[in-house]
This record gives sequence, C-alpha cells and structure tokens, in this order.
Amino acid sequence: MSQSDYDVIVIGGGHNGLVCANILAKKNKKVIIVEARSTCGGLLDDQIINCVPNFSTEVVNALGGLSVKYKPKSTIALSETGQHIRLTGNQHIDHRSIATFSESDADRYVEFHNKMSLFSKTLGSFMMSSPPRVMNHNYSDYFKLFKLGMNVRFLGKKNFNEFARMIGLNIADELEDNFENTLLQGLIAHDSIIGSNLGPRSPGTVINLMYRMANHDNSIFGGNYEIEGGCNQLTDALVSLAEKNKIKIITSAKVSKCIIQDDRAVGVELENGEQIYGKSVVSNADPKSTYFNLLGSENLDTDVKRRVKHYRSKGRVAKLILDLNSIPSFNNCDESDLESRMIIAPSIDYIEENYNRSKFDKLSDEPIIELSLQENSEGMKRLNVQVQYASYKVQHGWDEAKDQCINSVIKLIKKYSPEIEKSIEGKKFISPDDVELDYNVSGGHWHHGEIQIDQLFMLRPIPGASQYKTHLDGLYMCGAGSHPGGGLSGIPGKNAAQEILKGTN
Amino acid sequence: MSKDNRFIALKKTPFHSRTSLASRTNKWYNWNGFTVPTEYSTTELEYTAARNGTSVMDLTPMCKYEIKGSDAHKYIDYLVTRDLSEMNDNTVAYIIWCNEDGKVIDDGTIFKHSSEHFMLCCAVKILNWLNDSAIGFDVTIKDVTDTIAALSIQGPTSCSTLKNYGADSLENMKPFEMKEYNINGYNVLISRTGFTGDLGYELWTDPQNAETMWDSVMEAGSLLKIRPFGMNALEMTRIEAGFIQTNTDFVAAEDALRPVRMRSPYEIGMGWLVHLNKKNYFVGKNALKKEKQSGTTERCLVGLDIDGDKPAHGSVIYNEKKEDIGIVTAALWSPTLKKSIALASLKRPYGIKIKDNIFAEIYHPEEIEYRKIWAKCKIVKRQFYSPERRNNVPADLYE
Repeated sequence: MSQSDYDVIVIGGGHNGLVCANILAKKNKKVIIVEARSTCGGLLDDQIINCVPNFSTEVVNALGGLSVKYKPKSTIALSETGQHIRLTGNQHIDHRSIATFSESDADRYVEFHNKMSLFSKTLGSFMMSSPPRVMNHNYSDYFKLFKLGMNVRFLGKKNFNEFARMIGLNIADELEDNFENTLLQGLIAHDSIIGSNLGPRSPGTVINLMYRMANHDNSIFGGNYEIEGGCNQLTDALVSLAEKNKIKIITSAKVSKCIIQDDRAVGVELENGEQIYGKSVVSNADPKSTYFNLLGSENLDTDVKRRVKHYRSKGRVAKLILDLNSIPSFNNCDESDLESRMIIAPSIDYIEENYNRSKFDKLSDEPIIELSLQENSEGMKRLNVQVQYASYKVQHGWDEAKDQCINSVIKLIKKYSPEIEKSIEGKKFISPDDVELDYNVSGGHWHHGEIQIDQLFMLRPIPGASQYKTHLDGLYMCGAGSHPGGGLSGIPGKNAAQEILKGTN
Repeated sequence: MSKDNRFIALKKTPFHSRTSLASRTNKWYNWNGFTVPTEYSTTELEYTAARNGTSVMDLTPMCKYEIKGSDAHKYIDYLVTRDLSEMNDNTVAYIIWCNEDGKVIDDGTIFKHSSEHFMLCCAVKILNWLNDSAIGFDVTIKDVTDTIAALSIQGPTSCSTLKNYGADSLENMKPFEMKEYNINGYNVLISRTGFTGDLGYELWTDPQNAETMWDSVMEAGSLLKIRPFGMNALEMTRIEAGFIQTNTDFVAAEDALRPVRMRSPYEIGMGWLVHLNKKNYFVGKNALKKEKQSGTTERCLVGLDIDGDKPAHGSVIYNEKKEDIGIVTAALWSPTLKKSIALASLKRPYGIKIKDNIFAEIYHPEEIEYRKIWAKCKIVKRQFYSPERRNNVPADLYE
C-alpha cells in the first residue's frame, strides 16, 4: 500500500465538506479539502440561495463556535388585489395578520401550526444523529429505532392517530379541510413543495413540510434567515476555521476518480493526473457522482448500480437574478415588506397547474416565484427570484427556453410591481442544468436528491449506503445526499465526521 | 411474426419441420417459449445414441445474447466470477455470474469472437440484468435467441459425422475452441462444446439454413448411428456428466422467492469458477470474499453413489441419527455405469468433512403403493462419467 499523505481527503468544499473537515481536524486528523471550483462553498451561494435556515446549534458547538450573523426574514404572500398575508413565525402576530381575512382561519392556523410543530420535533429528534442500520444487528441501532417508535407513541393516542393519518397525506387535502382563504392555502402549500418534485396534491407533501420545519426551528414560517453580508460570510467563516485547524485546501482541482487498492479507497486522482493518498476519503459530491464517477461503475455490483440509477435527483428550481438601479415599489407593500421573502403562489390550484406542466417538462406562463431583495453597503441592489418547477432538461432545452422563462417571470412581477422593468439593469438566469454543470451536482438538485419517504433516514441515499458509508471501504459521503439531506444545516457533514472517527479510532 | 402465428403461445424453432417429422411419440416440452420434443421415440435409445453414436438436439431455445462494443471484453470480465481477462479469440468458456450477495444467477457459456464481440448462452432470460450491469460500459446487448439456429451434435462418432458433413480437419479442434466454417454455401460456427460430458460439438447458423443443415447432418451421420435426441435423454447424460442445471439443482438468485434458497458458487460446487484475486472488480466479489474469509458457506453439492438399483428421485438425505441433512436434486439409474447415481445438496459439514454414514430414503413407486428403501450412499466426484475421448485431440474418428 502506498504511503498516506493525509488521514482524510475531503472531496468538495461545500458547507458540509467544510464542516466535516473541521470536526475531523479538531480531533487531530490531518485533512485536505479538494475543491473543483475556484472557491469553496458549493451551493451555499447567493446565486442559488435566497434565504437559509439557522445552522444547526449542534454543528456550531461541534465546530467550537462560528461567528456568522443571521437576520430573521418574515414571509409575505403577495395578492394581486393587494390583500397580502404577512407571517413572521410569531403566533400572536400571525394570528392577527390572518384574522384580518378570516377569524376562523386564524384560530385554525395556530392549531395547525402547533400540531405540525409537535410532529416536526418528533421527527427532528431523529434527524440530528446518524440513522440506525437494522441490518447491522447492532444493539444501539435497534435502540435508536425503538426510541423513534416510542417518541411517536408517546405523543398520546390522539396525536399518534393524527400523526399516522397525516404521514402519507397530501398537503392540499389538509389545507382545504382547515382553511377557507385560498392565498393562505397557497402560501403553506408553497413551503410544502418548495425545492421538490411534488405538487400540493402529491402524497408525501405533509411529511415534506414537517421535514422542512424540523430544519427551520420547528416553525412553518419562522425559521427563515438571511446571512448578514451574504452566504459567503458562512463559507468564509468555515474556511477561516479550516485555516485555523491547519486544513489544507486546494481549489480548481477536480477529482477524476477514487484510487482503489485491495478493495479499499486509498486516495484520489485529480483530472491533471496528480494523485493524493489518504487513509479515508469523504465525498461531499452528490450520490450519483460519488458512485458513478468517483467510485466508478466498473467497481459496483449491478444491484447497487440499479439503486443509484433510481435515485431521484432532478432539480426543479431555477434562479433569476435581477440587478436593479433602484429599490422597486410593490403594490401595497411598505419598506419592511420588501425585506421579507415575497411569494407569488396565490392558490393550491395555481401551484398544482404549474406542477402539471412541469411533469411534461414544460414551462409555465405564470410561474411560482419567491422574491428576495438583497442590498449591500456598496449600493448593490438585487432582486433574487426563485422559479419553482423549472425542470431539469426542460422541453427543447434551456438555451431555447431561458428567455421564455425570464419573460414570464418579469411579466408576472409586473402585476405586483408595475414599474419594475425600469429599474432592471442586468439579468442572470441559472437553470438546474447550469447548476449541474457549474456546481458539479448531477441533476442540479438543491438537496442532491429528492427529500421523499423512499430517500429518507436509513434509505438515504440508497439502501446499503446509510450511515455515511459507501459500498467501498474507506470511502464515505458527507453531502446533502446523505441523512438528513439538504437544507444547509451542516448535519450530514457533522454526522459523517463522527462516523469516520468511529471507523478510525 | 406472421399473422397466423399471433395467437400461438409457443414458438416453433427453425428446425420444427424436421423435428416434428422425426417425432414418433408427439411428446413436446416448453423450453423458453419454444416447443421442442421431450423424446422422439424412446428416451433410452436416444441416450444410447449419445453414448455410442451421434445424437442431434435442437438447441435453438437456449437464451442467446450478443454483446458488442469497445468495452465488451472488460464488461464480460466484470459480469462473471471467472478471470476471463486472458481469454483468447475464437474460444469458449464455462461461466457463472452472481448478484451483489454473491448468489448464483445462472451458469452458461461465453463465446469470444473478438474483444469487441461476444455471445452468451444461458438457461434463464437475463437481458435486464445484462443491460443494468452494462451501466458505465460501452456495450450494446441484443437478444439473438430467435435469430440464431443451433444444433448440438454429441457422441463418439460426432466428429466423423461432422467431417462427412463438410467440417474439414474438425478433429484438430480442441475442447472449448470454435471456428467459422462455410459449408454447402452458408456460414456455420462450430464449437467443441456440449452438455453430455462426451465428445461433442455445437453448430450455430442463420435460421434460414436450419432445415438444410439438419438434412445434411442427418445424411452425413446415416452410417454412424445418428439419432435425434430429446430433453429426457439430455437430462440423463448431463447427470452422468455431473453438470448442474439452473432451477433444478439450485434456484436462480433472481427467481428465488425465498432468500434462503439462493446459493453461492461454493454451495453448488462452482467455487473453482470464482477468482477472487482477479485484477478487476466483478459483480458479487465483496460478498464472495466475505463468505470465503468467514467460512460461512452453508451447503455443498455432491455426487452420490447409492446402493441398489432404484433411482433416488427427490430423496431426503439423512445421517446415521436419522437427522435430515439434505436433498437429492437430480437422480438416475445410469445405464452406462450400471449404478444409481444422484446429485445432492447437503448441509455442511456433511459432504465435506463428514462423508460416512449417509443414507437416502427412497420412495420407490410400485403400482400405487410406495416401497420405502433405506439406501447407503457414498460421496463421490460429481463427474460420474468422463471418457478419455472427451478431451482427445485429434478427436476419435470412425468410418
């Protein structure tokens, strides 16, 4: 066996790769990060992300503190009539806001929120640590599974029944049963499908919302933040921590494959032919790239290839960045409203119709968008637009579809901000295909793969690869493709580091 | 498919006009969706032709896949457990392949035309498996079962028969070699392969040549005891030769309903085909390596020489304490060896470390009643019958 230059080689300097590397380095491991792009951070980028959840406190503690300032962001559902709904995550304020439209919706919203919050806490208790692996026949793994079962059972009979009823349910049914205001329905439905390949009437959207809440302070609209100074602040903090921890970072170095000796990963080979040897290798890349490119199809069992091939990872969100010369005004919105996430998804049917078109890889003339205004001290003003259901490999290709998408988005914004076009100075459009190409994420999916019941917990990313291990000894995964998935929590990176430490100690 | 055939469930092989003419008993069998004779006249006579003259069997229903592409050789080496990295052009190899748990899916033969062109023959349909295994390899796989007509010509006079037919200097062909011939104006591939454990060849050609090929071969062997040969007689010869049959001696891993029925190569006597130290990874390697290292192999497939003359079909095998230790998967009263022989799947250590005091409980049918026979068994080499002429080069010739 060749001599190992490092204890651990981390492929990819996304936030999870950085978290993983830092925790390992704190335990005196000699770590190198190999990043394909010219800078670290990966998808943690203002070009991709509008707002983020809080970085998990467990991760921050494991890192020994992180100095990044978060600013909470409220949410506003825009209405063409100007009757917007503003939600902050604070129950009293939200109740008052909804009550201006419907007293009964306001009461029911609080009830619905409490119920969902309880369930998301129950799921959340399971999300922080490495998922159990029953095939191990390991006592602690059984105990973990037993604990989740007990957590659910201890919800009490009424809540347990309710949890069982809702776990596979679609969000549209639940919302239509509870609320009369279609704008409110649309708003909650939006946050239940965001980033996924599901429509409000698809089964599994309730668990989607619970899952999102578990990562957002167990609140539906409360856990949204803006990182002061932009996403790079978090990346920079993680990178400077890495420097403090004496981690070597090399950028613009794309790994072409994993070096395998005696059925074990012993290093990586870069595209320029350079080889780096290490005792363990961790991939922050998505599962498909990790398996098919790094590990290589010729080193995988057929059954494993089938599972990786079936792993669903087609991105559904595009980003349009509008550079502005002045702050635009929106109908019936004041200055503080403009600091919110502004969502245009006026009803469940509106979303479902958009979803229907996306099933056939078609674009919508009236898309679902989330707007977020970004300003900095240098006078840069930017409107970040997320376009939901913009398919990966859209019909006729993005080269042709791009302008159509931009035009329909601007046309839609004009309904709420008639003067917007005058202030637009520049446009940049990033499709899921661009994300795949520029960020090396196959499928261009935010979360490195759908967050759905068949790809969660010990099934994420595929059966047999849970607990951050792959099918090759010495090769681990630490990205959003592993439990608990994407969402900028840093948990996959932290859990992976702990599994690696278990394996090497 | 012609309009008239749309509602016919079983297909006819390209030899059907000839096989149906030769059939005296009109007994047919569904083999992979084709109808082929179970026996033509008398199974024993057909068996005798394979052992003393030449037998002719319609092999067309065998699953056949063409594998082409720049990665074909690499792909085949990855697919199977055997090290085929050094396989020569125009040779044939016996192979098995496994799933990720190291359980056998099927056995078969692989024919190498060139490093970019192979043909795989096997018992079970596996196109999906082949295609999914091909992810990441530059190969295209085509099911050519319907587009290649095949005859198996086996027995001591088979070489002479085929020389009469027009295969010049065939006697110099070594076992597991193959050669492309042009005979009577059409191309025919001849390989020295077979399923009878004797001297024998297999002929592969375009279906349009099938009937004339059948006629010419029958004519060529007319003075050499040639006879068409059905499935029943094949079963007799293959047991004598100790060849295993998928879904008889073991359940194909992809077909098994009960996971415990799946078998690793070590459990069906195919450990010699597993090359754990071959250079590249192959499907099932991790699991097989683990099994080999941990010694967790549970069963074994052995040959049994059983006392008495009653075949032990489906018999349960016991130790001296009358504890159940296995089952007979195939049994036969061998007319050549004059012995009752069987293949049996036993629970280890029986058959490996414990070879004595093994008994078969035979239920011998006697006019509605059964006679229960407690017969002592001896564990022997699975290859019960293997005459020297099987491997002779040049092959034996008769006039």
